[in-house]
Amino acid sequence: MRHRFVIGLVAVVAAAAFTYSLSAPITAQAPAGAQSYVPPRTADGQPDLQGVWRAWNLAKFDLEDHGAKPGVPAGRGFVVDPPDGKIPYKPWAIEQRRKNYEGTKTFDPAKNADPLAKCFLPGVPRLTYLGWPLQIVQTPAQVAIYYEFSHRRRFAAVGNVPVPSSEDMSNWLGVSRARFEGNSLVITVTNFNGYTWFDMAGNFHSDALRVVERYTPTGPDTLQYEATMEDANVFTRPWTIRMSLQRQTDIGLLEYECTDMLDQMGVPHTWPRDFETHRGPEAR
Amino acid sequence: MRRLLFPITALVVVGVVTSTSISGQGRGGGGGAPAPAGPVPRTADGKPDLRGVWSGASGGFTHTALIEAHEGGFGILGGPSIIIDPPDGVIPYRPAALAERNRRRDDLNAYEDRASHCESYGMARLHQFNLDVQYAGPLIIMESATPTRQARIIDMRRTEHLPDSFRLWMGDSIAKWEGDTLVIETTNFNGKTWMGFGDYHGPNAVIVERFTMVNSNTINWTMTITDPEIFTRPWTIRSVAPLARRPAITVRDEEDDCNEGNVQLRHLKNLYETEYGTPVPRSNDLQR
Repeated sequence: MRHRFVIGLVAVVAAAAFTYSLSAPITAQAPAGAQSYVPPRTADGQPDLQGVWRAWNLAKFDLEDHGAKPGVPAGRGFVVDPPDGKIPYKPWAIEQRRKNYEGTKTFDPAKNADPLAKCFLPGVPRLTYLGWPLQIVQTPAQVAIYYEFSHRRRFAAVGNVPVPSSEDMSNWLGVSRARFEGNSLVITVTNFNGYTWFDMAGNFHSDALRVVERYTPTGPDTLQYEATMEDANVFTRPWTIRMSLQRQTDIGLLEYECTDMLDQMGVPHTWPRDFETHRGPEAR
Repeated sequence: MRRLLFPITALVVVGVVTSTSISGQGRGGGGGAPAPAGPVPRTADGKPDLRGVWSGASGGFTHTALIEAHEGGFGILGGPSIIIDPPDGVIPYRPAALAERNRRRDDLNAYEDRASHCESYGMARLHQFNLDVQYAGPLIIMESATPTRQARIIDMRRTEHLPDSFRLWMGDSIAKWEGDTLVIETTNFNGKTWMGFGDYHGPNAVIVERFTMVNSNTINWTMTITDPEIFTRPWTIRSVAPLARRPAITVRDEEDDCNEGNVQLRHLKNLYETEYGTPVPRSNDLQR
């Protein structure tokens, strides 16, 4: 079922068959070192995750195992639960995912179904593995994450801070609350608006999405990043991705002003803001 | 459709303030009586503790600060020049740069202001917004406490600027303490940002800010701009009033979704193309 969106490419089918044969070891990617490494602590006693980090992987293309597509290297996926490595979509949502991907086959950002083509906020967890670095800054009451991509940033209040109702606030990046569990930073993200995707393959969610992110130092220069997604509108069960982030030491956060890149390509970003386009009726 | 569009309306102010008469004259200095000196809170290492939310606005909120003396008008507060040097309160533009500034002030060219594209304001335009200072180890973080996504992360361990090839909207800031004054020097600009209503500096400007805590609730702030390509001499501004402590911000759930709801840029583009009969230029061509 999940292969519908790549039909027509014989080589892709071959590659996918190959990756199927390798699907078993996915579950073996358990956080082996996660328990043994003891990270430094901040002056306030929090595990110190501060620094500049980057995901050097293919997650931005597709969170699932995938064959090569135009501009996309084939590669393994990042879904560790369910064990088959597939996002547990409801049947209608698989068709919507296929439509989403078909809608990205254009060079015109105004017609591209991917919200990121218009430089809209990428959502969470997509912003983590988009390919640009991020910087974690911890103060006692807040964990701030600054992203090189388009000067984006998130603030996660630490502790038992009430979350606004989803009627009062729905955000592209949701509303974040942080806590520390052992050596891990755990951020719960709610209040999404349902307009963002997970990757360039059209994987998506609704405004009922709830994400639990877990950042765990596994060494001085590596973070294990896990995110568990729940969305009863779109998925049959929660699912989890896992990957590692590497510390960037050669330079700090620089800048990638996304809309300026459109400007430089001669693409005025003046299209109507019609966020309901390309969304499945069941997700509204 | 929920609350996606809230930060956009202020942007059109960029395009309409030309209805205000601009004198371009006026005395600098002023700013009322100096704040009384008093004890200054300090961190464990003895440095002044600048943490907190600060504002030097005299009241209200304007999206496009005017540096020189000006009358009030729709969407903008009147006021004296915030230039303290040179003493005449006028930006010491070179003649060609002054003509360019005046050209940018034309309503028809409002499309060129990158703020209307929801792009970065650049650091030299941030003094009009509330400032939220935080310390995190060797980092000093300065947030603009507004829906604009402008954060400066200053690493006090750094002593040299980035190589010349890195050109940034926010520039590259390094800082040091001179006694009790935090001195921030910013370079490596990209030349795309404005300082406010048509005013601008070039990509090779060197901008030095000085934060001096006068008492626990007051910071004196100045900013000196040196850019021989644009100005005949360095010039210095201060905030409208000394930075005064404002209520702390503990939770930041609002996000900057300016681009996501930017339905105004279309109108600025139409205005430009109707008047000039040509498509808006690629913004890269606007870089100077």
